[in-house]
Amino acid sequence: MYPRIAGGLVAALSFFTLAAVHAAAPDGIRALTLDNGLRIIVWPDRDIPNVALYNYVRVGSRNEAPGITGLAHFFEHMMFNGTETRPPGEFDREMEARGGSNNASTSDDLTIYMDWFPSSALELVFDLEGDRLAHLAFDPKVIESERGVVYSERRLRVEDDNNGFLAEQVQSTAFAAHPYHFPTIGWPSDIEGWTLADLQAFFRTHYAPNNCTFVVVGDVDADQVFALARKYLAPIPRQAPPPAVRTVEPVQPGEKRVTVERRAQTPLLQLAYKAPKADDPRSAALNLLAVILAQGDASRLHRLLVEERKLAVNVDAYLQEGFDPGLFWLFVTLPAGGDPGEVERVIDAEFARLEADGVTEAELTRARNLLSAGYWGQLATINGKARLLGEYEVMHGDYRKLFELPAAIARVKPADIRAVATELLDARHRTVGVLVPAQSGEEG
Amino acid sequence: MYRMLLAAGAALMFAVVSRPADAAPGVTIPAYSRTVLDNGVTLVIMPRSEVPLVAFTALVRGGALADADGKAGVASLTAGLLEKGAGARDAYQFADAVEGAGGSLSAAAGTEAITVGGQFLAQDRDLMVELLADALLRPRFEADEFDSLRNRRIEELKAAKDADPSGLIRIYGRALLFGDHPYGRPAGGSERTLAAIAREDVLAYYRANFGADRLTLIFAGDVDPAALTALVTRAFGSWGRASAPLPALATPARISGRRVLLVDQPGAAQTYFWLANTGVARRYADRAALDVVNTLYGGRFTSILNTELRIKSGLSYGAASGFTRGSVPGEFAIRSFTQTDTTGKAIDLALDTLTRLHHGEGLSPEMLDSARSYVLGQFPLQLETASHWVAALAELELYGLDRAYIDGYGAAVGAVDAAAAQRVIADAFPSADDLAIVLIGDAAKIRETAAKYGPLTEMPLAAPDFRAPAVSRPAAE
Repeated sequence: MYPRIAGGLVAALSFFTLAAVHAAAPDGIRALTLDNGLRIIVWPDRDIPNVALYNYVRVGSRNEAPGITGLAHFFEHMMFNGTETRPPGEFDREMEARGGSNNASTSDDLTIYMDWFPSSALELVFDLEGDRLAHLAFDPKVIESERGVVYSERRLRVEDDNNGFLAEQVQSTAFAAHPYHFPTIGWPSDIEGWTLADLQAFFRTHYAPNNCTFVVVGDVDADQVFALARKYLAPIPRQAPPPAVRTVEPVQPGEKRVTVERRAQTPLLQLAYKAPKADDPRSAALNLLAVILAQGDASRLHRLLVEERKLAVNVDAYLQEGFDPGLFWLFVTLPAGGDPGEVERVIDAEFARLEADGVTEAELTRARNLLSAGYWGQLATINGKARLLGEYEVMHGDYRKLFELPAAIARVKPADIRAVATELLDARHRTVGVLVPAQSGEEG
Repeated sequence: MYRMLLAAGAALMFAVVSRPADAAPGVTIPAYSRTVLDNGVTLVIMPRSEVPLVAFTALVRGGALADADGKAGVASLTAGLLEKGAGARDAYQFADAVEGAGGSLSAAAGTEAITVGGQFLAQDRDLMVELLADALLRPRFEADEFDSLRNRRIEELKAAKDADPSGLIRIYGRALLFGDHPYGRPAGGSERTLAAIAREDVLAYYRANFGADRLTLIFAGDVDPAALTALVTRAFGSWGRASAPLPALATPARISGRRVLLVDQPGAAQTYFWLANTGVARRYADRAALDVVNTLYGGRFTSILNTELRIKSGLSYGAASGFTRGSVPGEFAIRSFTQTDTTGKAIDLALDTLTRLHHGEGLSPEMLDSARSYVLGQFPLQLETASHWVAALAELELYGLDRAYIDGYGAAVGAVDAAAAQRVIADAFPSADDLAIVLIGDAAKIRETAAKYGPLTEMPLAAPDFRAPAVSRPAAE
């Protein structure tokens, strides 16, 4: 019934027991680049009578500047708020009335639009997506109400969330020159200050068809999708490519530290190490390192900090992979009264041991299997397929690289993990963030 | 940064179950078998051979309902300790066995059952059954692991108060609404109740509430049913019964009038609010109409609530509503948040939408049609994988529902008309005058506003419990 998926899964899963298997891209996937530069990738999958459609736009807070921080994210909200022919709200009303739902997200690097709908609504969704790319309109009243929505989102995720508050400080400290310095949600004064002219300029600059990648997965036929793309997306004129981000973050000359005092019961520690961009040959080893360190109860740092030493309530690792070199994060939540300095010393000692002794084959096998299980788990849904295809096409330059991941994971040796750990986990290239409970009611 | 909170938009608050709008056939449960072993273990198997994975859920009935008074969280600690050493493996060896195979296995206590769920490669089927049987039949409950987990759970609650007020508000709300009824107790415990729990409480919980008669095992994926049945029978077939009967559950009362709890977080940037009354049970006969109306009212982006609080006014990042439906009625709740200064304005708007709903506003034939399409169109996305099917079958088993709950749903949604909508509004949606209301925010700035809505109780967010000490009410009518 789903030969391509099942075939892909079986071939790839066998690498759990066989050393290395090169899993080819499933046969049914087809890609097309329209004359205006818009790229479209289709993976028919008739498991359920639904479709997941993603539009990856190559713009994020990385493309911002002082005064307009947060604009990429605000713009994402405004993409739902009306076109020259459809009044504000009509996009959602039409989509929901035909059984579809949607969401969107913005990061440092990308703005991603997502629709999930019954296949009977396919043409409507192409019409809606084409219309807002070609004819977006801005209603000044809606700009003001949406400004309030985004500010509320900032209060939720940053002001009233100590983890979010500290991470914003750490990231803006870690990058001195590169725009990864800017928080994606935007600084408060910029949220208050964006103008209609800012939005119009942003639309002209970044929302060109040649800056968009569509991915359509589900109960569709590739030719039918291409025909709809030609009808609704091909007429949008190509534009000059957006200006490249020229700034390269200089090599960090030494450790940076930031301390935040806030009302809190539990202290937080965040360590952010400078890390390579997404499309880097060390990516597989780095992702495996993150799993070895902090994914699951058998991971090194969980076992050490949470179970054995009881210095932490929780520890997570996250590799932030974008177009430009980013950060490898460790997030540690301490118990009330806990000592972030002691946690830092224990982590440093463990990293020294890792660099001296490397990792065991068993640790690596565990990490490979967990990473692979997560990968195949994502490929079990049309949504996960669409997300991953788009991510590999945009971040790694070719969706087919998605299917090379199992082999890339299988090729990593313990010595590779040790080498990337030694290179990456260098205290001179990290930013340490500490949130300490405020002694009085005074806080930022 | 997402356009919508995924939690508020989909999974947590809304058990929206639906079927494709324009596709006539809808969703039918794939073939599965259901057998009861001689000792009372129920075994459900759905073969799904297209992916070489097996998903599972073990349900142990009782859950937090069986927590002793003043010791909320015993079931939750018992569940957590199932993974912390069992059979021949200590905690680390157990985790390593699961993760080393690329599998997952995690246990948690819900209100009415402890669930142990996860997924393994089909080739690791024997290991999966061995680990599951060890966790359920031979947990070690070692003293060190107990101390470690209990202390960590206490600290996790403190950390959540520093980072996620909107995620905690429902726990305060259920305590306020349901009082001493078991639905009013936090399934995960509070800092105070967790501190009162000893290892002996966990051992007593296990003896009383674990046994073959309480267990339902559900598997979906690439399995041979006969071989799996034989394996499960060997592993579980000689397990004895739980020593205690399943706890009885009274029907919680609906409250009349309003009561308000203000949870003080000085310096909070926003006020998080939750408005609720007792709703309907899982077996509610008009559930299709309930889902359609809740979709219109607070279950999708263009809902009445989100339109008023987000789209038209910009007061909030989001507003939503949903029903929690258990063996007996849980709550219908509205939740949202807004900056401190606009607390009163946002709550007034939310209350106004509820009154307008009772007056039939927003229920035009066109809107009903839209909501039906939406519910049906989103349904298949929730029944796509083996894990989804395990969850759906677990729901049928736990609440004693017939397969028509899924198979007949599409037709039921398609048949929802204005009369059915009006019926469920009168029957299941509370009046704006009868609500338990929780606000988490800066009390010094919103105390006067909060008091407008009804008799006010106040407590600090940092207090080690989810209810103000004086609040205690009869459990049931």
